[in-house]
Amino acid sequence: MSAPSTPEGRRARPSIASPEGRRARPAIATAALLLPAYAWLLVAVFLPLGAMLFFSFLKTNPFGSKAPLVFTGAHYLAFVTRPYLVDVAITSLRLGFWTTGICAAIGLPTALAIARATRGRVRQTVFLLAILPFWTNGLVRIFSWTMLLRQGGILDDLVHLVLPGVGSVGLLYSFPAIVVGLVHAYLPYMILTCYLAVAGIDDALIDAARSLGARLPTVFATVILPLALPGLVSGSILIFVPVIGSFMEPRILGGRIGVTMGTVIEDQFTQAYNWPLGSALSFTMLGIVLAIFALFSSVLRGRLAP
Amino acid sequence: MTSGVAAMSTGSSNGAGRARDAIDDRGVAPWRRYAYNSTVMGDSVMSGSQWTRRDVARGLGFGVASAAAATWPGGARAAEAKSITVLNWQGYGTDLAAGVQHFKSATGIEVKHDYYNSEPEMLTKLRTNPGAYDVVLVNSARDAQAKADELIDPVDLGKLPNAAGLAPAFKTNPNIVIDGQTYGVPWVWGMNAIAVRTGKGFKVDSYAVFEEAAFAGRGALFDDAVTEIAVAALMLGQNINDPKDMKAIAARLKSFKRDVKLVWSSEDEWNKAFAAGAFDVSVFWSGAVTRAVNLHQQPVTFVVPKEGAVGWLDNFCIPATSTGKAAGLQFIDYMVSPQFYAEWAKSGAPASANAAAMAALPESDLNRQIHKPEYLDKLQFMGALPEDRRQAFNDLWEEVKAFYAQS
Amino acid sequence: MIWLGRAILALVLLFLYAPIAVMVLMGFNASDLYALPFVPTLHWFSELAGNDRLIAASRNSVLVALVTAVVATALGTLAALALSRRSFRGKSLLRLLLLPPIAIPWLITGTAMLVFFYWTGIGRGLHAMILGHVALAIPYVVLVVGTGLASLRADLEEAAMSLGATPFGAFRSVTLPLLAPSLVAAALFAFAVSLDQFVVSYFLAAPGVTTLPVEIYTSIRKGFTPEINAVSTILLGASVALFLVFAGLTRIGGERERR
Repeated sequence: MSAPSTPEGRRARPSIASPEGRRARPAIATAALLLPAYAWLLVAVFLPLGAMLFFSFLKTNPFGSKAPLVFTGAHYLAFVTRPYLVDVAITSLRLGFWTTGICAAIGLPTALAIARATRGRVRQTVFLLAILPFWTNGLVRIFSWTMLLRQGGILDDLVHLVLPGVGSVGLLYSFPAIVVGLVHAYLPYMILTCYLAVAGIDDALIDAARSLGARLPTVFATVILPLALPGLVSGSILIFVPVIGSFMEPRILGGRIGVTMGTVIEDQFTQAYNWPLGSALSFTMLGIVLAIFALFSSVLRGRLAP
Repeated sequence: MTSGVAAMSTGSSNGAGRARDAIDDRGVAPWRRYAYNSTVMGDSVMSGSQWTRRDVARGLGFGVASAAAATWPGGARAAEAKSITVLNWQGYGTDLAAGVQHFKSATGIEVKHDYYNSEPEMLTKLRTNPGAYDVVLVNSARDAQAKADELIDPVDLGKLPNAAGLAPAFKTNPNIVIDGQTYGVPWVWGMNAIAVRTGKGFKVDSYAVFEEAAFAGRGALFDDAVTEIAVAALMLGQNINDPKDMKAIAARLKSFKRDVKLVWSSEDEWNKAFAAGAFDVSVFWSGAVTRAVNLHQQPVTFVVPKEGAVGWLDNFCIPATSTGKAAGLQFIDYMVSPQFYAEWAKSGAPASANAAAMAALPESDLNRQIHKPEYLDKLQFMGALPEDRRQAFNDLWEEVKAFYAQS
Repeated sequence: MIWLGRAILALVLLFLYAPIAVMVLMGFNASDLYALPFVPTLHWFSELAGNDRLIAASRNSVLVALVTAVVATALGTLAALALSRRSFRGKSLLRLLLLPPIAIPWLITGTAMLVFFYWTGIGRGLHAMILGHVALAIPYVVLVVGTGLASLRADLEEAAMSLGATPFGAFRSVTLPLLAPSLVAAALFAFAVSLDQFVVSYFLAAPGVTTLPVEIYTSIRKGFTPEINAVSTILLGASVALFLVFAGLTRIGGERERR
């Protein structure tokens, strides 16, 4: 999570050198800025999740179980006692990496295109058009994808209109179908964060690099990519993290294939009525996600350090 | 029909009996005891086994929040005597517009709804919204659990005029009659077995169809541990509520892998996938087949194979915390009446537990045809499951699904 | 270059709008199972007109989403300013704390909220939904605004202050205008998070007071009809209209810095 701070740190560092005396009681001001948001989060998210964390160490459900309250850490050994979960977790991670990777591969060029190939009204329009699909219901969008992707579906019909005789391109109930649905659901996050990062890139910088004889790939790698990094990192967080826990896309688009940590956890809550196991799995997953980000950010920092 | 009902009711008596033994003998619902023991949630306010939301709120200093909540729209339930709230699946009879209107014009009582999407959620909503509900629809296999947690009150069937028509075997079903008291009003029942696409000449008479090469990638299963384990148990000749050989059941379900295209979790998902031709055979509900045929004109038929089918019985219960129990009973009485059933049957109802209501349907009605009396001999009814067995069922099904998902 | 950029944009928009087009189309299709071939009808729109429950749910959805967008953007922006412009101990921890609301599946957060709100007497209803939605939207706002701040030059603010401006004055006259696109974007996302948020809403809705996503989620079991598509289409049309008005008033994503 400290990854996004790196580029910001580089830019904002001069402010630290500013005369401290000008800041009236900086600690109180900082607290005043932070308090509303974190107090809200405390009441609405952290305390409830704290209760869930507590549940995850219970043997059985706190509501309606027959046994008296028994504490156990056994649910955190689920991956040992239920070896099949390892495969499920790998599926989830693969979904996370594929979705995040594809979103980055599409999102950054799109953000660059918005920032560099459009101006004024056109830019506003494109920008809003990219967010607008988000204002429709996610479930309805997923069901629309089933219509597009299924064998003999709309996509199939369109392809056969152009290329009669080719086989079905129906993807429904497969891993790629889930990825398509997830990329669609999360792409706007990546476009947005990348756009915010690259919109400020000075034309002069690129012109200077090019006038010095740098070719486009070099410009991209040495000028654009470092500046776009904060956007890519925040976008990846906003995508990778929820994708790992997603359950609707895998269930509806994946058919038999759609068994992920998200669906297993959902089952613990909706079918098995095993909140302790379900929350232990969630917190285990959160741990895995944090570990991946820690690894990622240390690698990133190592590469950025002069 | 009556003899068949009597036969099938024995199937679940074992499970219900065992669950009864497991019920807490101290008479304190475990979740309450949990709160009582808890130090995290503010133990000082818990005195005695009775505590309420308000007590906790006061104890935690949230009295202000509570009061504020009451002034918000929807923050507290309006205290209208002339309305009741029903907790049910959405689109499952009680919210039928014609029925709600008729009931209101006959009694002046307005019917509001809240919905659940899974049985555990139904129990959670009952626990976390005391006083909010006046009628709840419960799968009778969950009655014992709801009763053990003191969520539902006993019902006196004698007070309901329309209960007279209920098939006697349903009225005395061991799922419903607990410790000599009746806890639910039987409403509708149905079977889980096989739905087969018609017009393609398929001959299906066994669950082994899901192992046939001819149906590779053309099958669908219901994403429900109890049902799928019951299917394998039926194939293996085991008791669906207490199978002795779980390893054999897992192996049997895993042998379906080649044929399974989809593991569906809702009737809607099933309908849309079937209409698009995604599969030909599926584990499905009897009542849903009548709806697929009558409402959506789908080419499908319901088959009870030679191994038998899984039976279930839904009943109405009165939440213990209800503030409108009399009105709730009035509504239940209307719900089990032949008049209402005739209305609901037009838009695809499951089979009524009220023999009088079934008899009122025309001979040609698909519901009557599908829910044939002779099938009843082959049914094993879903019974109450002790918590550890339910967990074992879910673990097994989760593992089987993960096996299906492997490439 | 320009043409390559426009081609990319066209393709991406095509991808983003493919299912949206299907959604709109199916609202005008006769089959209640979304089956093809396409048979045009206005049946679902006229059905919708009589569906008070769905209309009330849509109204609630928009109300909750609007409040969420405003509150979450305000709170999230303040936090983002502190996190990216001020140095203090425990900053990384506070950043880390933004992850759980995104990472823990909403189903679990929703269940946790249901239980906790019940224990504390907060209860269920629109107020609880707003409480939950704002909390879920705050991390998105912080990350979006934080990204925007990261690409803003802090020295401008310093310069203003060195010229005698108070910190707040410098913020208002220098940073805020430059940050406006990020704020608008964050608000749009907070709005979207709330509008799409079916799981948490589902748990926090009081009986009889629902939102559109909740209606859709609960009707999955029985089957949702193209009425849902119809109402989604209307909402989408209303959003477009709102956008056009909005775009006329402000310059979202427009030029941020004078070049």
